[in-house]
Amino acid sequence: MKALLNTLKWIILIFFLFVALYPLIWLLLASFKTNNLELQQNPFGFPEKWMFVNYYTAIVKAKLPALFIHSIIVAFSAVFVNLLVASMTSFVISREEFKGKNVLLTVLAAGILLPIISFMVPYFTIIQKMRLYDSLLALILVYSAINIPISVFLLTSFMDSIPRELEEAATIDGASFVQRFTKIIVPLSQTGLATAGTFCFIYSWNEFIMALLLTSSESSRTLQLGIRFFTSQFVTNYTAMYAAIVITIVPSIIVYFIFHNKIISGLTAGAVKG
Amino acid sequence: MRKITFLVLSLTLLAAGTLFANGQQDKEKEIVLKWPSIWVGEDSKAGAVAELVDQFNADNAGKIRVEVEAQPDYDGYEQKIRTSIAAGIVPDIFTMKLNPTTKAYYESPLLMDFSKELNGGWGKDFNAGTVAQATVDGMVKSLPYEVAITPVWYNMDLFKKAGVSKYPQTYAEFLDAAAKLKAAGFIPTSQMTGGSNAWTSMLWYSHFLASFGGPDVYANPFGTDAYVKAAEVLLAMYSDGNTSIDAIGGDAGVSGGHYLAGESAMFINGPWYIGRVKSEAPAVYSATEVGPAPAAGNNKGAMVGFLQTNFAAAANADDPEKAAAAVKFIKWMTKSENVAKISAASGAMFAVKYDSSSITDELMGKFINASNDASFTIPHLEGVVTSDVITEFGQALGKMALGEATPEEFVEMLKKVQDQ
Amino acid sequence: MKKNKNIKMILLFLVPVAFLYISFFIYPLAFVLGTSLTEWNGISAMKFIGLGNYKKLLTDGTFLLSIKNNIIWALSGGFIQIPLATMVALILARKPRGWKTLRTIYFLPNIISAVAIAMMWKAIYNPMYGFLNAFLNLFGIEGHNWLGETATALPAVIAQTVLYIGYFMVIIFAATTTIPKSFYEAAEIDGCTTLQQEWYITLPMIRGILVTTITLAMAYGMRHFEATFLMTSGGPAHSTSVMGLVLYNKMDAFRLGEANATGTILILLGTVVIVLIRKLLSRGDAGSDSVQ
Repeated sequence: MKALLNTLKWIILIFFLFVALYPLIWLLLASFKTNNLELQQNPFGFPEKWMFVNYYTAIVKAKLPALFIHSIIVAFSAVFVNLLVASMTSFVISREEFKGKNVLLTVLAAGILLPIISFMVPYFTIIQKMRLYDSLLALILVYSAINIPISVFLLTSFMDSIPRELEEAATIDGASFVQRFTKIIVPLSQTGLATAGTFCFIYSWNEFIMALLLTSSESSRTLQLGIRFFTSQFVTNYTAMYAAIVITIVPSIIVYFIFHNKIISGLTAGAVKG
Repeated sequence: MRKITFLVLSLTLLAAGTLFANGQQDKEKEIVLKWPSIWVGEDSKAGAVAELVDQFNADNAGKIRVEVEAQPDYDGYEQKIRTSIAAGIVPDIFTMKLNPTTKAYYESPLLMDFSKELNGGWGKDFNAGTVAQATVDGMVKSLPYEVAITPVWYNMDLFKKAGVSKYPQTYAEFLDAAAKLKAAGFIPTSQMTGGSNAWTSMLWYSHFLASFGGPDVYANPFGTDAYVKAAEVLLAMYSDGNTSIDAIGGDAGVSGGHYLAGESAMFINGPWYIGRVKSEAPAVYSATEVGPAPAAGNNKGAMVGFLQTNFAAAANADDPEKAAAAVKFIKWMTKSENVAKISAASGAMFAVKYDSSSITDELMGKFINASNDASFTIPHLEGVVTSDVITEFGQALGKMALGEATPEEFVEMLKKVQDQ
Repeated sequence: MKKNKNIKMILLFLVPVAFLYISFFIYPLAFVLGTSLTEWNGISAMKFIGLGNYKKLLTDGTFLLSIKNNIIWALSGGFIQIPLATMVALILARKPRGWKTLRTIYFLPNIISAVAIAMMWKAIYNPMYGFLNAFLNLFGIEGHNWLGETATALPAVIAQTVLYIGYFMVIIFAATTTIPKSFYEAAEIDGCTTLQQEWYITLPMIRGILVTTITLAMAYGMRHFEATFLMTSGGPAHSTSVMGLVLYNKMDAFRLGEANATGTILILLGTVVIVLIRKLLSRGDAGSDSVQ
């Protein structure tokens, strides 16, 4: 019985390991294949010929390096704005008592449910009115805003788990409201910030439709638009597109590996609260 | 953490720097026209169009500059144009597919009406009937530009291997050829119900509509005889192994893939696919002939062809100089020698009269012959129905192909959506 | 409630979030709700038609089917994906060899492009070259055109999503780390098997997080769109259609009024399902308290 359970356990673990890793391996192999025809006829095997040229095409033709810089600016700034705003909000909700704070938290968290896709016209109008159309700042604002519900949800539950004694001691020592936020809560919330920040980063890095809608010129184009360089009205060059995708997911993976311990313990803190 | 904070801060500063730097340009008096163009990237017209834009900018240096904003993702591009018009903004120059849905653009006062310009002689540059096709309520808010024909592509090698010496001209001949092809292990036709519009199969359906309903088939309402009969033939294409088993639910990659792989003998698509066949499957390229679909009804030799892309521009009512500049640029793009250049480089076909003798591509030549040989041409169904019907087509076709709907019910489903 | 002496600072701290939330959630939501009562193609003037769009939607067979499919999505998320995630989390919580690496890798698919994953699964399901049919044939099982048959298409698309358990697994795993070791030691002495320990100790102790993850998974199921759009476009014969796709198609057809009515129903139904599920699942709380 015990041996059977043990075997079953490893079968389950390896099955899900395979499920999780296989898309990456598939994508990598696909990005080296000759053309769409090979992709269709030989979808799972090794490439007949390793086409490193796909990567050359991806980088040079789609001008990925410049777009890379835009994406980095947008993603990091969106994370920065999002964390700043969300942590201020969460600090107030978690550490202060005031009328309507539960309503506020519910309203903010309910944003997780909204179908952002139906917001395209209002977003376009607002960004026009703010005179931000075709600027990186437009994307920074939109991405940081869209991620506020999830960030506030994560950060409030994280901050709730920080003991109150520290703040009380500091208040007695004369720390102001702002100092309690900057000197105590923010440093102690690093893990929660890393978690929320990672979600925001992954979202901002991968977002496509708003980037397409709210920018037009090359000076404010992001990587996800660059990837689409290989699709056209009737034909898509999938192998080159996959090479471009591989290039673009590398930063996501790096960010994830740097922060994964923090993300996971950040989620833990949220989980304790349930 | 401190290092990361520093990194974030410095990047934010960098971001702010770039943003403000952008605002500093464009000080010259030059009129700048922004053109979010789909003819970029992998598109076969990309190179020639870029050259023409550069030449135009050089000729008008200091006065007009056209800035191309690359928009390769077509579905996204359409969404973007739609959203921006809804928000009251129209790009200086853009292109659109004119169909019953996008005719709504004509309601917008933000779009330029070209009818006056066309009456001043420019109209004569266009092929007969094309400007009429782009006229709605007396307005021409989109200028016919790229056209396409979509003949049946057939792989003569496979026909020969199956013992069929001649491309089938009638439905009976088609069934006979299909049986021989199947016996030889080939898939007779490429079909698909998937993608957003069941593209290949809808083209087959348009061909059969022409064959049953003649040149005026679209003047008859949905549900009349021709629509049902054409649906019966389309159903036959999905039955008895006349297409691949992955056709139901398959997308354009599936239907094109079987043809490129030399697995299927007949396939329908437009000239934009020539480049792909040439590079990915040279043997199939040289074995390919094109022609009308086998005549299932009384009308033989019909072809499906349509306005593919039209030029449009912002009205710029408060800025006549800018409006004039846009017209000047579009006139440049529709100049017969310039159109000939794009055509020669890409194989694309145009609504403007031009000399196509410089086209050297062999298959492209066959396309032009097929176009000239056609007894008559009808538009693609996609161009005469609303987006709702286009979306419903693939769903209804899937239902019919799975045996869950009869041809009558298939047509009824489309009719119901159209009547909404 | 006593008036907080920091109220000015509190308000000041809420200014940025108010700005962003009102601009990018409240205003768009009001816009969606408002235009859902109109006939509007996005270009000409809006025409007020009251609940006309809703009436039309609720008598449209495809839309009703989409609601049903969304509910199936939500239930699959809540009651297939979460149990799978819980199972893996509980196994990892016992710290088998390599558990840290496994935990990290299980999360990875969350950061890959949906387009690439969808293309891969289309290839897996392809009846001619696909991996799945080839695998089944090894055991003499006949294959299917998975995405092309009305009976298999919806399960096939759902499976593609439900198998990626990493996100929820990590959260559930985290919850298990809060259970004191002594509980298990005592159970061990009483002669409980591992499975009994999980059933009688772990699951009741992580009840709260299970409710949260089930709710989240169901919320994602209600607003699901992407994988369906990329893999089947709702076909064949609408069998995989979901509300998000209906919304998208209406926008595509310049029916913005109807599209926004669809969005409103989506939000309403999503809220109802979530409130219901939370009510239902927390009802037994008294019982679980007595276990502790």
